[in-house]
Amino acid sequence: MAARVGVALGVAVAVCFVTGLISHFIQHPQPWFFWPTRPVWLYRLTQGLHVISGIAAIPLIVVKLWSVWPKLFERPLIGGLTKQLERASILVLVASMFFQLTTGLLNIAQWYAFKFFFTTSHYAMAYVAAGAVLVHIAVKLPVIRRALGEPVGDVTDGGAVGPTRRTVLWGTGVAVGLATVVTAGQTIPWLRKASVLAPRSGQGPQGVPVNRSAIAAGVIRRAQSPDYRLTVTNGSTTKAFTVADLAAMPQATRQLPIACVEGWSVNAEWTGIVLADLVAAVGASADSDVRMISLEPPGPYSRTTVPARHTRDSQTLIALKLNGEVLDLDHGYPCRLIAPTRPGVLQTKWLARIEVVPA
Amino acid sequence: MTVTRIVLFVTGLAIGLYGAWLLWEFPTVIIVRIAVWAAVGVIVHDFVFAPLSAATGFVGRRLVRGRWWTPVTVAGLSTVVLALLAIPVYSRPGARPDNMTVLDRDYPLGLWISLAIVWTCVPIYYLITRLLPVGQNEVVEQESADDVEGQPPTA
Repeated sequence: MAARVGVALGVAVAVCFVTGLISHFIQHPQPWFFWPTRPVWLYRLTQGLHVISGIAAIPLIVVKLWSVWPKLFERPLIGGLTKQLERASILVLVASMFFQLTTGLLNIAQWYAFKFFFTTSHYAMAYVAAGAVLVHIAVKLPVIRRALGEPVGDVTDGGAVGPTRRTVLWGTGVAVGLATVVTAGQTIPWLRKASVLAPRSGQGPQGVPVNRSAIAAGVIRRAQSPDYRLTVTNGSTTKAFTVADLAAMPQATRQLPIACVEGWSVNAEWTGIVLADLVAAVGASADSDVRMISLEPPGPYSRTTVPARHTRDSQTLIALKLNGEVLDLDHGYPCRLIAPTRPGVLQTKWLARIEVVPA
Repeated sequence: MTVTRIVLFVTGLAIGLYGAWLLWEFPTVIIVRIAVWAAVGVIVHDFVFAPLSAATGFVGRRLVRGRWWTPVTVAGLSTVVLALLAIPVYSRPGARPDNMTVLDRDYPLGLWISLAIVWTCVPIYYLITRLLPVGQNEVVEQESADDVEGQPPTA
């Protein structure tokens, strides 16, 4: 029973770990890492799965620990060295899993009750948790094999009065389904009404939620200033565009999702200038990495780099409009980046400057 | 199997140590905060949540009998899960006045409605199992050692 719930938990953890690493390496590109631009909803899928699998792991870990908790008091309490090592490895496993699930759950609700930086600690601890899971499987493999061979109809280890394995598994399935339904609507539109505990309803200005507001970014005055210019540079070539200049350029409309690292996502219609056209306007090849610099004062996400693969993709826009209206200030007015398969945090808002990175 | 186990063990150890090394890069004060956060989770589970659950189960098993027990335990688990998921949203502790798109639901209402639905399913499940033909073995299976039929009076 513990083995079967353990397998489900293992799958959830594996999905969560891999999708988390994907999100990390998109944000911290490595030479060996490849992230395609199609399908355009790929990041929406992977990051949606990251949060969904993490939340699904909560009921699974509750049941898993319930089924093994009595072992905590098994005699002998201390035991030999092997026993102590096994206990230590389980302590690391449980503690790191708690850490990942609690910090993740708090982060999607933007509740920073902890006084450490979320992204780096969640990233580091992910390896500890994943490693501890593998060690645990290695230690328990004979037990797991034996347990999986037993019929599900038998009663659990509690003896003749315990619930049958089938009952526990079925009940766990119900709890996992429930946890998913009440939260996943922030990325799966048809579940929206049922997701009563999701941190996002999916609503927002122009039908799109906001993660960082114009007030929080401190850009309101500069974004609305008549002196605003979007500066595009390629080496010594520099061009400055007013909002009217940008609006006068050929406009393209694209259906692209905005998918946040926090697991919410919505589809939207964006209208603006194809980034490759803007890059061509300063005489650069579309096959270039391009740096996006926000009006926002320097911070972790005030400047991002668009890889050449996304720059040359005609789906990548410098958007002026969202769902048919001029961009709301909170969505990045006067203009923002919107590219396929990028995390929302890299879809730089309130653009001030676009620099072609020398090859 | 031995080879599989060794490969899993060594890979796991390497990945885990890499994580530990990443954590080691933090300033000591941050490492302590991270360790405390992780430890508090374990302590709260092992010595508060788990004993409370066990006690509830122990008492509940004596109050709830026969066919009611299965749906009640599943509803209990569902209640725990809903309560855990509600913690970071219920009183909207992360809400900020500049962004109304985060935590923009009526979470108390949502939690209570979902709990009401969960517990409404308990009698429905009970009725369904009552109406379905059930084998004697299943009835026995769901009873505890204390579930004894009325005995003839000892004359």
